Amino acid sequence: MATATEQWVLVEMVQALYEAPAYHLILEGILILWIIRLLFSKTYKLQERSDLTVKEKEELIEEWQPEPLVPPVPKDHPALNYNIVSGPPSHKIVVNGKECINFASFNFLGLLDNPRVKAAALASLKKYGVGTCGPRGFYGTFDVHLDLEDRLAKFMKTEEAIIYSYGFATIASAIPAYSKRGDIVFVDRAACFAIQKGLQASRSDIKLFKHNDMADLERLLKEQEIEDQKNPRKARVTRRFIVVEGLYMNTGTICPLPELVKLKYKYKARIFLEESLSFGVLGEHGRGVTEHYGINIDDIDLISANMENALASIGGFCCGRSFVIDHQRLSGQGYCFSASLPPLLAAAAIEALNIMEENPGIFAVLKEKCRQIHKALQGISGLKVVGESFSPAFHLQLEESTGSREQDVRLLQEIVDQCMNKNIALTQARYLEKEEKCLPPPSIRVVVTVEQTEEELVRAASTIKEVAQVVLL
Amino acid sequence: MCCHGLPVGGSPSSPGCFVPLIQKTGGLLLTAERGGRMNVGTAHSEVNPNTRVMNSRGIWLSYVLAIGLLHVVLLSIPFGMYIFLHTVKGTPFETPDQGKARLLTHWEQMDYGVQFTASRKFLTITPIVLYFLTSFYTKYDQIHFILNTVSLMSVLIPKLPQLHGVRIFGINKY
Repeated sequence: MATATEQWVLVEMVQALYEAPAYHLILEGILILWIIRLLFSKTYKLQERSDLTVKEKEELIEEWQPEPLVPPVPKDHPALNYNIVSGPPSHKIVVNGKECINFASFNFLGLLDNPRVKAAALASLKKYGVGTCGPRGFYGTFDVHLDLEDRLAKFMKTEEAIIYSYGFATIASAIPAYSKRGDIVFVDRAACFAIQKGLQASRSDIKLFKHNDMADLERLLKEQEIEDQKNPRKARVTRRFIVVEGLYMNTGTICPLPELVKLKYKYKARIFLEESLSFGVLGEHGRGVTEHYGINIDDIDLISANMENALASIGGFCCGRSFVIDHQRLSGQGYCFSASLPPLLAAAAIEALNIMEENPGIFAVLKEKCRQIHKALQGISGLKVVGESFSPAFHLQLEESTGSREQDVRLLQEIVDQCMNKNIALTQARYLEKEEKCLPPPSIRVVVTVEQTEEELVRAASTIKEVAQVVLL
Repeated sequence: MCCHGLPVGGSPSSPGCFVPLIQKTGGLLLTAERGGRMNVGTAHSEVNPNTRVMNSRGIWLSYVLAIGLLHVVLLSIPFGMYIFLHTVKGTPFETPDQGKARLLTHWEQMDYGVQFTASRKFLTITPIVLYFLTSFYTKYDQIHFILNTVSLMSVLIPKLPQLHGVRIFGINKY
């Protein structure tokens, strides 16, 4: 900018151009050449480096042999031999034309066939029709959705809740909404497949700790703390999360929540608790693991559960503080980009919540039944019971594996088939074997519901014992 | 840098929204296609709109006008541009790419890291042209020369492709 003493006369400036110092003009010449170079340079991507020569590429193409479109599959693959269920999977289930007692469906509180729930769903069906035909942001929000979110928040005693229309998508959308690239998640090895997919979508650094081993988790947290002290600026922008399940689906064990909360405050990480199996099961009023241990629900940053187990509906929900849940309304991929829950299912869930609130006694009944069958199934030669005594979904694993997984699976399938012949419907726990991070050993998953009577439990236990003795001689 | 749109499926609104009427500058520059965008103000499938801001309709003209205006008022343009292009990192809105651009400056984010695109060339040439003009005004005075050259270099050097993602002495790394 010209100072007050100099004058802005064009003539003077042009004169100065002629008298300009040489270095200045040379620099300007270089800059003009630079401009010309820029204008003629091509655009290119930085990482575009192919380390293969054309000849090598040709060789690779020659060598490649296509795999068959349909790979050879053994005839006894479970996907080819499925059971056909006619009618609802309620207490008595009709499998392949035979009526069995259902020990396989996660109908913990027996609400699947409850007449009140069915009536509420029918009334809602008559009022709203079947589907919502839109995501929540695009005319897919109905009053029943807001109602259900309100009721769930009140039931769990949190500030807010958010509904997803598919149980698997709930935790798989919630994790990547908060944890991004560069963040660190400490997760249990026995986490279910939905959590694993959520972690994969989040692109964060995953650190697995041994199942329910708080010492291992503390070791990992300490290592991270040392790293953080070496690089405090990086640590300040890194978020840390701990993801655990209340009752693990793959093992039937409970997470040690009090120790986790202590670790959370010591190492400044946030806890995401997945309560699919423990919602409506544990605790005096069915509020889950936090009630079971008597922990303040505000200590847990996010609780996620699906409504497909105890609540006998479809979908899932997350609940927690308002500012945490509100973030998912724009960042939860399964919330923004999927059609919302059909109103009849939301109404069914509300009615199921009503029933849960009216009869808090069913949770104690369920616990007692779990304990009973757990005790009855101890001592079977060849099979061991894996899971807590109060867990309604536990596993029966082979005490000694035969060495190959297929052989184990075949043995267990034999047990399941023979039990089915004796009118006890059981199932094996199925996994996508190539996709699981830590594949659990093959097992039979037994589910206890409130509707099973004592005689039925005793009969089931003795049937399993007999069959196991025959098959696992 | 651009308004964070509300609901409809959650996609942020297009970056051209604040320059609706000005036509993009015609063939004033030799560079090829400038990706004229028809979907100003509508939903789009761009993962990180920050990369396309400098391509949107009218942005170049508004940039030149803003520089002209501020140039008359103060000489802080290179300093201001340096802050916005090479210091501030990340995006002012949530992106669906799980934070890929969290540690990248706006310059590094432009056009997803492709070097020598039209916008990048434009933004490199403009400070040089400004430098010529300023040298002319100040009649090639020595002190002004030093100051102007230093500020020009500080704006030109971070734009080199060799310095993509480079953080000297770890400054501004996280």
